[in-house]
Amino acid sequence: MSLAYARNDWYVIADRNSLEQGPRRTRLLGDEIHVSGSYAHPVIKDASGRMLPTQIKFDHVWTTVGDRPRPLFDIPEGNEPGRRLVPCGMVRVKCSPLRAVENFLDIAHFPFVHTDVLGAEPYTEVEPYKVEIREQNDEVWATKVKFFQPLAAKSAAGGITTDYEYRVPAPTTAVLYKTCPPKPEAQDVITIFVQPRSETECDVWPWMALYDDDTPYADLVQFQQMIFLQDRSILENQRPIKLPLDPRMEIPTRSDLTSVAYRRWLKKRGAFYGALAETL
Amino acid sequence: MTWRPVGLTRDVPAGRVMRAWVDGQDAVVWRSTRGVLSAWDNRCPHRGMALSHGFVRGEDLACLYHGWHYGAEGGVCSLIPSHPDLTPPDTIKTRAFQSAESDGVIWVRLEGSPDLAPIDLAPPAIAPGLDPLRSFEIRASEGDIAHGAAAKPFEPAILSLLFNPIAHDRTLVTVLIDAQATSDQRKLASRWCEDVRREVEA
Repeated sequence: MSLAYARNDWYVIADRNSLEQGPRRTRLLGDEIHVSGSYAHPVIKDASGRMLPTQIKFDHVWTTVGDRPRPLFDIPEGNEPGRRLVPCGMVRVKCSPLRAVENFLDIAHFPFVHTDVLGAEPYTEVEPYKVEIREQNDEVWATKVKFFQPLAAKSAAGGITTDYEYRVPAPTTAVLYKTCPPKPEAQDVITIFVQPRSETECDVWPWMALYDDDTPYADLVQFQQMIFLQDRSILENQRPIKLPLDPRMEIPTRSDLTSVAYRRWLKKRGAFYGALAETL
Repeated sequence: MTWRPVGLTRDVPAGRVMRAWVDGQDAVVWRSTRGVLSAWDNRCPHRGMALSHGFVRGEDLACLYHGWHYGAEGGVCSLIPSHPDLTPPDTIKTRAFQSAESDGVIWVRLEGSPDLAPIDLAPPAIAPGLDPLRSFEIRASEGDIAHGAAAKPFEPAILSLLFNPIAHDRTLVTVLIDAQATSDQRKLASRWCEDVRREVEA
């Protein structure tokens, strides 16, 4: 485990809703964190009472426990006019934070885990797509991903082939750009911010920036929560719990290109918190 | 390694998938549509998902996560749905254990390959004239359960208990009853099982 690397990233530890419910305790990188104050002025302290830095971004409260934190990445689409920003609450999952991110980057499971929603047999084939590490900001990108979906979004009326792009700006964040059914020239943005409670437990905070002014907020949140609860049934049943970085431990196929790149990228950075760096 | 009783034949009909524990090993036990019983490491070699959550398709067990198929004969991967035209290399396979059935009880052991000579495959013989009654988990050690059962002798019919330790405080108990026992005696024996469980778990 490499706590040193992980300490210098920023993590979501609350949203507006959770702060309005009063002070709360949570966990970050294995330690207890106290969250109080208001959404405008959050007060975050570690177990010893030390004040931690905070920032509000993407409708969430972020903190870091490191001495030399890396700058928090941007998601520029969040500032585009016309988009509706939708924080989706939190889902707790007993799994490695890195397994949660990897699952989010995967489309081949749609027909089996999100059956008749994000995928359906016999439409299981994954066409070749492109994966790269973008040097300028050292991010994993997967582009030209296509998949047939029976009900791709709340705003979709029927089955469509959806175009996807994935972006990994930090080890515990994944951003997805996908065809927006009512506005085919634009892309909806769906993100997960993963709060690593420990190496084997995390809180997943989905956040969306959509072109959808019609669907009620509760329906949008409920749709995302349903998807994540389906994912949880997988994530809590993988062994080993930590994400293996040795390619011999879990055999990939071509459709796993994003996952393979993500694992290599973690390994290269030494981002081992929640990973199994050695071979069992 | 020893043969471990992991459940009853009737609890794993064709198409059924079950999780089992064998000497600390997490295992999946399942029966194909044509009736072939298999016991494997409960882990898909692709992304580590528990195969006990999977589903039977004909003679294959499919993983719930990405639908990869593994064949009853040898556990070799036969289909990767994300690339349906690809013939998976036969190096992609599950780790298979020995499994066998006798007198309505399913037995699994870790050591040895499933291709061993039949003589080696024979699980322990059960005393003749016994029927499987039920197989269930008790949150207690084998020793505590044996002690609890002995303290509460069952009079109406002959019972025999098989133990499969799962953890230091969890044991799978398989109960066999005299094949001549009446249905009333079987009901009483089931109730006795519940009583023993309640007492040793208390």
